[in-house]
This record gives sequence, C-alpha cells and structure tokens, in this order.
Amino acid sequence: MTQLLWNGLFVGSFYALVALGYTMVYGIIRLLNFAHGDLYMLGAFVGFGVLSVAGGLATGLGFVALLIVLIIAMLVTGTAGLLLERIAYRPLRGAPRLSVLITAVGASFAIEYGMRLVAGPNPEVYPVRLAGDSVNVLGARITIQQASLILIAVLLMAGLQWLVMGTGTGRAMRAISQDPTAALYMGINVDAVIARTFFIGSALAGAAGVMAGGYYGKIDFLMGFIIGLKAFTAAVIGGIGNIKGAMLGGLALGLLESIGTAWIGGQWRDVFAFSFLIIFLTLRPTGILGERVTERV
Amino acid sequence: MTTNFATSPTRASALFDRLQQNRYLGLIGLAVAALAPFITATNYALSVMTSALLFVMLAVGLNIVVGYCGLLDLGYAAFFAIGAYVSGVLATRYGWPLLATVPVVIVAAVVAGIVIGGPTLRLRSDYLAIVTLGFGEIIRITANNLTITGGPSGIYGIPGITLLGIDLSGPVGLYYTCVVVVALAVLGAARLGRSRLGRAWRFIREDEDAAEAMGINTYRVKLAAYIGGAIWGGLAGILFGAQLSAISPPSFTFLWSALILMAVVLGGMGSTPGVVLGAIFISVLPELLREAADYRYFVFGILLIVVMIFRRQGLWPARAVERQSRRDLREAEKHDAGKAKEVVP
Amino acid sequence: MTAYLTRRLSRVALVGGAAVAAMMLSACGNGLASGGGEQSSDKGPIVLGMLTPLSGSSSAIGPYMKNGAQLAVDEINGKGGVDGRKLELKVEDEACDAKSATAGANKLVTAGVKISVGGYCSGATLPTLPIFEKADVPMLIPAANSNELVKQHKKNVFLINGTGAQQSDAAFTFMKKVGATKVALMDDNTSYSKDIADTTAKLLTGSPALAGRESVTAGESDYSANVTAILKGQPDFIYWTGYYQEGGLIIRQLRQAGYTGKVMVADGSVDQKLVDIAGSEAAEGVFATMTQTPETIQGADKWIADYKSKFGAAPGPYSTQAYDAVRVAAEAVKQAGSTDGSAVIKALEGIDGFQLFSGPLKFTPDHTLSSGGFQILTVEKGKIVLKDTLQ
Repeated sequence: MTQLLWNGLFVGSFYALVALGYTMVYGIIRLLNFAHGDLYMLGAFVGFGVLSVAGGLATGLGFVALLIVLIIAMLVTGTAGLLLERIAYRPLRGAPRLSVLITAVGASFAIEYGMRLVAGPNPEVYPVRLAGDSVNVLGARITIQQASLILIAVLLMAGLQWLVMGTGTGRAMRAISQDPTAALYMGINVDAVIARTFFIGSALAGAAGVMAGGYYGKIDFLMGFIIGLKAFTAAVIGGIGNIKGAMLGGLALGLLESIGTAWIGGQWRDVFAFSFLIIFLTLRPTGILGERVTERV
Repeated sequence: MTTNFATSPTRASALFDRLQQNRYLGLIGLAVAALAPFITATNYALSVMTSALLFVMLAVGLNIVVGYCGLLDLGYAAFFAIGAYVSGVLATRYGWPLLATVPVVIVAAVVAGIVIGGPTLRLRSDYLAIVTLGFGEIIRITANNLTITGGPSGIYGIPGITLLGIDLSGPVGLYYTCVVVVALAVLGAARLGRSRLGRAWRFIREDEDAAEAMGINTYRVKLAAYIGGAIWGGLAGILFGAQLSAISPPSFTFLWSALILMAVVLGGMGSTPGVVLGAIFISVLPELLREAADYRYFVFGILLIVVMIFRRQGLWPARAVERQSRRDLREAEKHDAGKAKEVVP
Repeated sequence: MTAYLTRRLSRVALVGGAAVAAMMLSACGNGLASGGGEQSSDKGPIVLGMLTPLSGSSSAIGPYMKNGAQLAVDEINGKGGVDGRKLELKVEDEACDAKSATAGANKLVTAGVKISVGGYCSGATLPTLPIFEKADVPMLIPAANSNELVKQHKKNVFLINGTGAQQSDAAFTFMKKVGATKVALMDDNTSYSKDIADTTAKLLTGSPALAGRESVTAGESDYSANVTAILKGQPDFIYWTGYYQEGGLIIRQLRQAGYTGKVMVADGSVDQKLVDIAGSEAAEGVFATMTQTPETIQGADKWIADYKSKFGAAPGPYSTQAYDAVRVAAEAVKQAGSTDGSAVIKALEGIDGFQLFSGPLKFTPDHTLSSGGFQILTVEKGKIVLKDTLQ
C-alpha cells in the first residue's frame, strides 16, 4: 500500500509541475494552452541535445550535470513559451475563446511534428541516467533520485507560490486575472506580465521534461500529449486557475491512477480516472480549491 | 470538388439574400456531389469522396453543438464510435441488416447524450471541454477492453447497406447512399439552426445569462443541442462501419475529435456552407499531402494558427443577420428611418 | 435589384456548369459514364503495393519495411525481373489508422497493383482485406499477424510473419525449458500485443501457472503502478508482449522495483533501442521470442551489408519479412505464369520449400506459415544474440 502511495505521489509531482503552467495561463487570460504538454516534450529534447553535445563531460557528473541542463532547458522552453504567446496567442487576445483554443491545438501539432522533423520519429535515450540505491521507507522502495526529483519539484513550486503571492509581478498577475481592463488602467503593463507568466509556466514544464528524461530515460516527440492531458485534468480537479489547487490536483490524480491500477487493472485506469473526474466535477464543479466564480458576462 | 465553386459565391454572398443563396448553394453542392463520380470513379477517388462526405456529416453534427450553441465538445468522436459500434455489433454478432440498426443507434446516441450531457451541462464551459474529452477517452478505452466490441482488434466483416433488395455495398452504391444521407443531414441541421430552437441556441451562445433572463430554459436547450449532435454523430458512425467494413478503437481517438472540431472552426462556426467546406478541406487535405506524410501534420498545425490569426471567423463565416428574412430587414430599416425622422427635427 | 441578382446567379450557375463539363471532358476515361473500372495491363512492370505506417505513432517501422521490399525488388529486377517483366513497388501510408489504410488500399488498387506485400498494424490491415479481395489482389502480409486476420479465412490473405499463436507456443516451450513456475503477462492493449498475451495465457494452465496479467497504456513514461500490480503475484517469469518503447521502460522499472526473476519480450520489442532504454545493466539476460533475423542467420552478413550500402541505415523490424514477401510474390507470379489473382493464389498455396529467412516456406490451409520459425534471443553484454533455436 505504501508503495502504491509513493508511486502515485511521484507521478503526481510530474503532473503537478506541468499542471502549474496550465493553471497559471488559464488563471490570467482564461486560455487553455493546449500546447503546454509539448513544451514539456521540448524541454526533454533540449536537455537531450545539451547532454549529447556536452558528451563525456556530463557523464561523470551525473546529478550535477542534470541540474545545469535543467536550468538551460528551463530557459529555452521558457523562451519558447514566450514566443508561442507572442506569435500565436497575442494577436488573438479578445477573440472568441474557441478560436484561441484552436490556435493552441494548431500550435501543439506544429511543435510535435516540428520536433519529429528535427529529431525523427524514433525515441531517443538520455545519455545520463539517474539510477541508484533505494531505501526502504515503511515498505515502499524509494530511490535517492526519486526523492531528489520530488525535492526539486517542491522547491520549484514553493518558489512559484512565493513569486505569485509575495512579489510585485505576482500581484500584477493576480490583478490581471481579476480584471484585465482595470489592471491596465492601474498602470500595469499587461502584455509584459502575461509574457512573464508564459515564460514561468513553460519553464516549469521544461523542467519536468528534463527530469522525466533523466529519470525514465526515453523521450519521443509525442511524449507531451498524454501528460498534457493528465495535467489538464489535474488542473481542473484542483480548481483551474488556482496554483495550490494545481499541485493538489496533480498529486490527487497521481494517487488516483496508482490506486486505480491496483484495484481494477491497468487497462481500466484511465476510465476510472476520467469517470472520477466527471463525477467529481458534477458534485463539486469548482475543483478542490477553486473559488466559486460566476462566468463573466 | 466543391472547392472549385468556393471563391465566386464567397464574393457574391455579400450581395445575396441569405435564403436564396442557401437554396442555390445547396443545389449546386448536391449537383457537384452527384456528378463527381462521372468525372472520376476509381475506387480511390470514391473512397476519398465517401470519407469526405462522412466527415461533412460529422462536422455538421458538431456544428450544432459548437457552432450553434457554443458548447465546446472535445470528445465528439465518442458518439461516432457509439454509432459505429452499436450498429457493428448488432450487424455482425446478431445478423441484423445495417438499416435495422438505425433506430437502435439513435436511441443509444440519445441515451449517451443525456448520460454525459445531463450532469455536465450545468458546468462552466471550460470544464465541459475536459469532461467531453474524458468521455471520448472512456468510450474508446471501454471499446478496447470489452469482448463484445472485439477488444483492440475491433469488429470486422460489417455488411454493406441493402435497401429494398438493392445492394448498395459497392463503392458507387455506398457513395450515392452517403450523398443522399449526408445531404439530408446537412439540410436537417441547417433547418434546425434556423428554427425556434436554433434561435435559442444562438442566443445562449451569444449571452447565456441574457437568454436565461428572457425565459429560455438554457439547460434543456443545451441538452437538446447535445443530443442533436449525438444523433448526427451516431448516424455517421453507421456509414463509417459500412464503408470500412471493419472498425477498431484506434479510429476513434482524440485526434479525430480534434480534426472534426477544426473542420467546424476553419469553415466558420455556425455557418452551414462554411462547415461543409471546412470538412471537405480537412478530410481531403491529408490525401493531397499523402506524398509528404512527414510534413502534413506540421503544415496542418501552422495552417491552423495562420487561419485563426488572419481569418478567425472561418473560411466562410456565418452572418449575424442570417435569421432575418429580407422583408423583415426592409421593414426594420423603414422603421428605423421613420424613427430617425421623428427625432431629427 | 432582383433582376440583377438573378442575372448574377445564373452567371454563377453557368460558370459552374461549364466547369463541371470541362472537368468531365478533360478527365474522361475514369468516370462512371465511360465505364470506369480498373485498367488491367498484362504488359509493362508488375506493380506490387505496400501499405505501411509512414506517419503516426508507428511511423518508425515504415521505412524498414519499405526498404526491405525495395531491396528485393531491385535484386529481382537486376536478374531480369519475372518472366521478362520488371517489378515495381508502390508504397502508401496506412498511418496505423483504418481510414488512411482503406484510402491507401483503394489508391493501390486503382493504381493497378497486382499483389499486396504490406500490412503492419492489424487494426488498419483488417479493413483493407475486403478491398483487396474485391479487386482480386492476393495479399502477402509481412508484419500484421493478429489471429483476426486468419479467422476470416479469406482466400487471398497469406501471412508471412509467424502468428501470435505460434509465438505463444514458442514462448511457452521456452518457459517450461527454463523451469519457470509462475508466469506473469504484460501487454500494451493493442491488437497485436493482447493477441499474444491471450494465447499465452490459455497455455498457462498447469505448470508454469499464470501469476497475473496487466495491460499498460502505450506512450507513457511511468509504469511503476503496473509494475507494483504485476509483482503482487510474485512471478518468477514475466513476458512482455508489446513494443520496445514501453518494453525498455518496463524492464528498467521492474528491476528498480527489486524484481530479480526472468524477463522475456515478444518480437515487437526486439530492437537495440530496447537495451538502450532499459540500460544495459537492467536489460542483461532478457529473453525474446523472435523469428529469424539477419543478425541470427548464418551467412546473412552480406544481406545486411547490401541493405546498409543501399539505404545508409541498418535494417530493422520486419525488413526481412517485407523482403521475403516480395520474393514470394515474384516466385508465385513465376509459377503461375500470370498475374491473375486466382492463379497467383493457387501458386502461393502450392509453394513448397521456398527458402525464407524464417525457413522453408509452406503455407498451411489457413494461409499461415507452417512453422512460425520462432526462436529465443537474449541480451548478452548489451547486444541481442541468439540463445536457443527451439529445434
């Protein structure tokens, strides 16, 4: 049982990291950034590229090398998110939501198959792998690497929480999410804040991508699709637009899947997870932490 | 085929009265569809054209939900799958003729529409997107796991359609069956869109709160749109089974739902000629890009972004005034002019 | 105003009508009115058609199959072709999707293909069966091997790959041989994979016994929940029947979870990438059921060298089967003395002892290989090598 919980929490922390980007972007401009999962994939491939170029230098350093790569990949995916917003989403601000969503679906296709053109359809294998000793905690096997990855995820999330709640940028973000027009009148540079939001959200997805690459080892151009879907679900379970909610939602979904697999078999897991989502939303439409918001008229 | 006629009427559409325009457009479209096999009737051309017709039917069905009523449905392939599987199972395991499965499919689609729409249509619109997406996955995975649906291999050996002893299972017969069914489906959806119910849908799309304030039971009206879309999707599923003779879960992935949605949005939400055009475009384009298989989805993605940025109302947008007949318009003008006169002096 | 509109309208209709008429004239010969039908030529090259995934999730396989077939075509043409006629290969994308596959099959039929030598995804291949059947085109399916293809007993369908049932037999034989007692099966819930798992499960009634089954979702990274579930049955032998992408991850995660028993994978997982993804440590000693490959056949080095020099890449899964499919097709046409569908089918049924990579060819009444030719490979020092021919 503890093993199940641990598996769930570990997977859930990946979901949470990706869900954060979804929820931040949604919270601020009410956009479901469908291409978000693909930024996760992009992060994994940037990390792969850097590690391949750095070659032998990195293999000896292991975890430290991965940390450096992590930062580079975050910068690159953050910039990619910035460009995505500038090119694809900003011209459509104020357009009907559905049009923006279609653009996002288009961006998702373009990133996935653009990467396929660059890297080919075959999966790639990370040159540096995290594998190591495991310790037994209350009957669950936990590797040092898993623990460190969770630690990184928690640190990133804590940093984000501080950024949003404790800094001027964060206050501006919250203001825009409340009322973009009023925020503009109050002297907030709305474009810049939205751009920053995209940068941060995308960088977090990129970080998750590198961590997944380093831990699991296999990356391919479609790897972002499923996790994007799951992160989206996690964000909704947590109450979309709410940062703590995204973290909780991610962990909840991870646990749900882990326990669902054990109870009713792997082939029914997604049915279980999605049915739970539907029932949950019917009973509590705002998610775990979502506030009761009326749709803006 | 119809794309050849797209450019001239687009420009002309600004001049034409809506009703008149629709009547001739529909006839022209039907004529093109009916005559196309006389130009080329290779199996390949027929199969591509039949697929395009099915896609038109799906897009028109989704247009009821997304275009008319403004409900974002990301799992439309689920209804398509329900139609294909219900008719396929009845036809192959119980030996029903395909036509006899139609009422059962309609009932199944309605039930599915109520089951999924019932609890979720009260939700915020963004949540509806994820719930419908989840529903699409649930249906596909369930079909993949059950024995009666043939598991991952699916169902094969679905018979063709026979009507009054006439065998319509050949490529030509099937094509013309599809022409008739899809023409009726397009006409039916367009009629629905102009009906009293259709006006309520558009009202909800534009402003749900105002619609509610005006005494529309928004929940019931939305459910009606959802069920309408479900029936169209289910019926398209029957034709799909008849065309391919074999169906399996990979045919009903999220990618399909996304493609149908793209057809609707690309063509112009709520606009029947636009959606028909969009569906033909989306369905035929991959065939034209067959040689460049590696690039097609990439080009596809870029294309979507470009279209949305530069022509977001779609290739052939719905017009805001379409519900009014010309006489109404003229009278309204007179009325306005009269009013203005009264005020000015 | 109304008169103007009517005038405009009739002009549009006129232009439209003229366009239709022009198209009818210019494209005469293919339309319904002209009698339609496929032109059958008994001169010129013999066209072979191949459906294979070139896009979509399985697009990595397409080039392997295409190149393998092309190699055979070039070799045969280099020796003067068949009865003085050259072979020509037409390849269409099936994208592992029923709609693309049917459109592709129709395109091939329309292009005058005489024999089909393609078919990878079983779910996409099934709907193409009636299309080729109606066009009287024999099919030599090099990869797709679901039992559903066999169960239909179509006259024109022949399987060059070993079937799921044959692979299960080989797997079961080997499990007994190494003294496994509790066997767990893992599949990826696709037609191919579940087929093998199902037929293997039916064999595991006595000893070794079935110690649990688990289906995973392809395309994910974390299978620890599935691994935890499968290890609950405390198996000492785990058989993975899916593809290498997930197989590599599962092997690695099994080892990380402390599993020390034996692992075996099915032919879809036999790829050097399996070892790379799992890591050579975790992959060491993993077994695989596989038909004969150039790597395991004595004297096939030249074949590999030819392939490499021609396409600049190493052969992969199903390269050999596609190569063999073309050779069998050529042989059947030669024996039949024509490309007529039923004559070729008859010739195919009569072939006896034609040498394939998987051994001498003789089709069973079911149109499958009489022996699947499956053998056991193993990972040794990071390379996949032959372990046991099961003879």
